[in-house]
Amino acid sequence: MDFIPGGELSRRIREGDVSAESELIRQFEPGLRVLLRRRTGGDHGLLQDLVQETLLVVIQRLRGAGIDDPQKLAAFAAQTARNLAIASLRKAERQKTDVDSEATERKPDSSGSIESQAGDLEAALAVRALLRELPQARDRLMLKRFYLEDHDKEHICREMQLTEAAFNQALSRARRRFRQILEERGFAKRDLLNLGL
Amino acid sequence: MNQQQLIEQYVAGKLGEAEAEAFEVACLEDPELARQVEFEQRLKAGLEQVARGSTAEFVRSESPLGWRLAAAASVVLFVCAGVYLWQRLPGAHPMVLAAVTTDVQRDGPAMRLALVRGAESVPQLPAGKVRVEIVGLFDPGFHYNVMLDRLRQQREIANVATLYGQQPSSPVTLEIMLDGDLLAPGTYSLRVRKQASDEEALDFTFEK
Repeated sequence: MDFIPGGELSRRIREGDVSAESELIRQFEPGLRVLLRRRTGGDHGLLQDLVQETLLVVIQRLRGAGIDDPQKLAAFAAQTARNLAIASLRKAERQKTDVDSEATERKPDSSGSIESQAGDLEAALAVRALLRELPQARDRLMLKRFYLEDHDKEHICREMQLTEAAFNQALSRARRRFRQILEERGFAKRDLLNLGL
Repeated sequence: MNQQQLIEQYVAGKLGEAEAEAFEVACLEDPELARQVEFEQRLKAGLEQVARGSTAEFVRSESPLGWRLAAAASVVLFVCAGVYLWQRLPGAHPMVLAAVTTDVQRDGPAMRLALVRGAESVPQLPAGKVRVEIVGLFDPGFHYNVMLDRLRQQREIANVATLYGQQPSSPVTLEIMLDGDLLAPGTYSLRVRKQASDEEALDFTFEK
């Protein structure tokens, strides 16, 4: 689908075009998920809430007063999402400082909410399937070094006696397969369907 | 920096603040780019989640039912193909590992691998085709997979060959053929695992 510039989307939403609101959600939702995933520490429930809240704030603003520079609608939405993430973090920090003496006796729950667990679980299941499918032990070790141990490519290639092209090819194959597994299992689609604005 | 490198740097948290914010705006303007980034984020998150359970998964795989069925099918295929090639086309397709099928092989040169507590020397693989006598506790009613890996520096493992569906010749011995001429000098690990089982593999080291 074609990308509709921010200026046009802003104008149409201001004029009451509901299809333009749907278009804004379709265009911005994936990017907001990326931005907020980075700021919600794997809490899937909080991520969904903040994506919805951001889109609501942006649409309401466009329906009403509008924004200063409609051409920069994406930047406005991104900043709104960042502000909401910071506000959410501050709220969580405030709640932590309200010490409940009984609560301090309880065992801490490090697993997060049920929704956040589900989010992690899906990716973990897909990763397990991916690791099972990778024929070479070398490929599994390569993923471990790159994503978990944070080694740079040059270091890994040198250590594993690989050319950069071979490394990129193996990494790209693993990424493609991971995406395919998630899509086959409906995990990627489910995330989109969850967004019930 | 190309787009893929940008994605990797963003997900790894290696972009500066201004660069990261500009990249986020680019993601809002390009849903397909955003999807690529999200898959990268989820791959990293999934790997972290799996690694919290056990790092062993990065070295070896689980064995659920689907895998077992596939392995069983592979066993039939590999045993048939292996026996056929070994008997009818000697030398046409050199194989590092093979089943022991003839009396000539049984009477030929051999290397014995056993887990000996406190042993200081590592067995040396002779040149040519060698019968490897693996000593351990085996269940004669089961089949075993034999995996040959080359060990490199920093505990890196590179799989060289795998032989599926081997039956022990006795409750304490499993024999296979190994062609030393096809191996480069170095340190190797021979692992023997019972099929469709979560039992730990027997692990032997030797040098070529």
